[in-house]
Amino acid sequence: MTGRANSIIIVGGGASGVVMAAHLLKSPNPDLRVTLIEKRPHFGQGIAYSTLLSAHVLNVSAAGMSAYADDPGNFWRWLLERGLATSDQAPVYAPRSLYARYLKELLDELETRERETGRLRLIREESLSITPTTSGVEVALANGTSVVAHLAVLATGHDEEPAQGHAIRMGSEADTALAPDSRVMVLGTGLSMVDAFLSLEQRGHSGDIVAVSRRGLLPSPHRKGNPIKLDVADIPLGTQLSYFVGWFRDLIKQNQKAGIDWRDVVDGLRPFNQKIWQNWPASAKRRFVEHTKAWWDIHRHRMAPEVYARVTEAVQTGRIRLVAGRVADIARNGDFTVQVQSRHTQVLETFEVARIYDCSGIVRDISTSSNSVVRSLVDRGLARPDPLRIGLDVSANCEIIAGDGGVSAKILAVGPLTRGTFFEIDAIPDIRVQCARLSKRLLG
Amino acid sequence: MLTKKGKYGLKALVHLSRLPVGQLAFVNDIATGNNIPKKFLDAILGELRNAGFVQSRKGKEGGYRLARPADEIKVGHVVRVLDGPLAPIPCASRTQYQRCEDCNEATCQVRHLMLEVRQAIAEVLDQRSLAEMRDMAVDDLPVVVKVQA
Repeated sequence: MTGRANSIIIVGGGASGVVMAAHLLKSPNPDLRVTLIEKRPHFGQGIAYSTLLSAHVLNVSAAGMSAYADDPGNFWRWLLERGLATSDQAPVYAPRSLYARYLKELLDELETRERETGRLRLIREESLSITPTTSGVEVALANGTSVVAHLAVLATGHDEEPAQGHAIRMGSEADTALAPDSRVMVLGTGLSMVDAFLSLEQRGHSGDIVAVSRRGLLPSPHRKGNPIKLDVADIPLGTQLSYFVGWFRDLIKQNQKAGIDWRDVVDGLRPFNQKIWQNWPASAKRRFVEHTKAWWDIHRHRMAPEVYARVTEAVQTGRIRLVAGRVADIARNGDFTVQVQSRHTQVLETFEVARIYDCSGIVRDISTSSNSVVRSLVDRGLARPDPLRIGLDVSANCEIIAGDGGVSAKILAVGPLTRGTFFEIDAIPDIRVQCARLSKRLLG
Repeated sequence: MLTKKGKYGLKALVHLSRLPVGQLAFVNDIATGNNIPKKFLDAILGELRNAGFVQSRKGKEGGYRLARPADEIKVGHVVRVLDGPLAPIPCASRTQYQRCEDCNEATCQVRHLMLEVRQAIAEVLDQRSLAEMRDMAVDDLPVVVKVQA
């Protein structure tokens, strides 16, 4: 088709960038040109899959982790073919490093296949900015050169924002050796806290871990089941949040009476989560993020049963202490003296800790993003934060929306950056569907 | 099927959508203007308030108004709240399933087709906003005629 954009730059070569490239390259179009740009030495890893720790397993079972929307068994077959799993195994939660290898091999295969066609180009360099031109876009790179194309797709994933205040990120340069028996504090009690606990164990750390979050809730474990079947005609859309929550609680109760696990109800809703989110009024979205999301997350974003067993054992033995409250004060005196105000009693409790890890996972204002491409788009008015400021404002077609409300035909975004519009768009099962739809729209 | 409750609720909302933004309407005016029994309308408006489609104020100057712009409220949103899951017959629902006494749901072709029909109902009703429905009523010329004109 004439006039169709067939050269596309993907900024970000982590999981969502690779998945996007893979879907674009399914097109038979011989004139297609896909350029994938990644600043890290390895493609397909990003933040999520760069961990080498074998205890850091995927939070979704292998059966759900295919890179391809139309071939859900792709990752599972990959594991079977390499003898990394057997077909009679219960749900398998593969190490994340293995998933990185899967994506790397997938990209290697694409690179080999496209070597003669010249349709795929990989660039290992940091992208600095995207600028629309009369004929397309220009992406400036840190080495002083630039690449041009008809379109750019932002796939920069989660923000690598620096930790706040005295807290540090696990695995960052500031995360130096610790006395093994020292007590540490973790801000957050979700899946990132669990990752931090597993890392500390791996390092031979044996001191107490004080994990603090507003509600002090631990994510639930997965259990094998069958999601219930729902149609969009069953689900109340566009109501106030309390009405929807009431409906959903009743639905769970009814199903539990029939002997069905709540997980099967939560998972049955998944195909409609984006639709539910998009139909909510702005007030319901805001209330959800402020009040309901913490509850939703621990039921919806679960962990492998083996990991859950380790964590709950640590909680029972007192190794991990979960505290519901907020940090009221931090004083530095060599170590840290942290005052935490209990959510329930309002009483202040003081903890002496050697280190504070930031695992809060709070999405901060995107306009202060550590990613220079995202920040420069916002600074120049080419993009704007979504109304909740949890990502970039994008249309339902993944197009970036400018500061003046204009929809960009040339700059698109996929993955976590689009969560303001797509809600749950952090995990591969959702990202691959988004990439498949966008590829189809762009290339037919 | 759309019940009387669903129909009355939609009529009441269209009534409210015609008012200047923020202005309240008396329940009596809505009832008489649309030929809806007042007591029934009270109950319907109560449910619409719980779902966040209308707001109310008590007292002599009290009444109802839309809680958000009429182009944000979709017809399908309202019908689900008043009539439950969209379904052409009671057995064609997954959450409010009511078994037919006279047939076997596993082999009933009618039910299978009706499950498909409900998707189509949802597609139409979830696309149309209250504002669109309101403006349809003003102009009842067929769409084809409008395009040609």
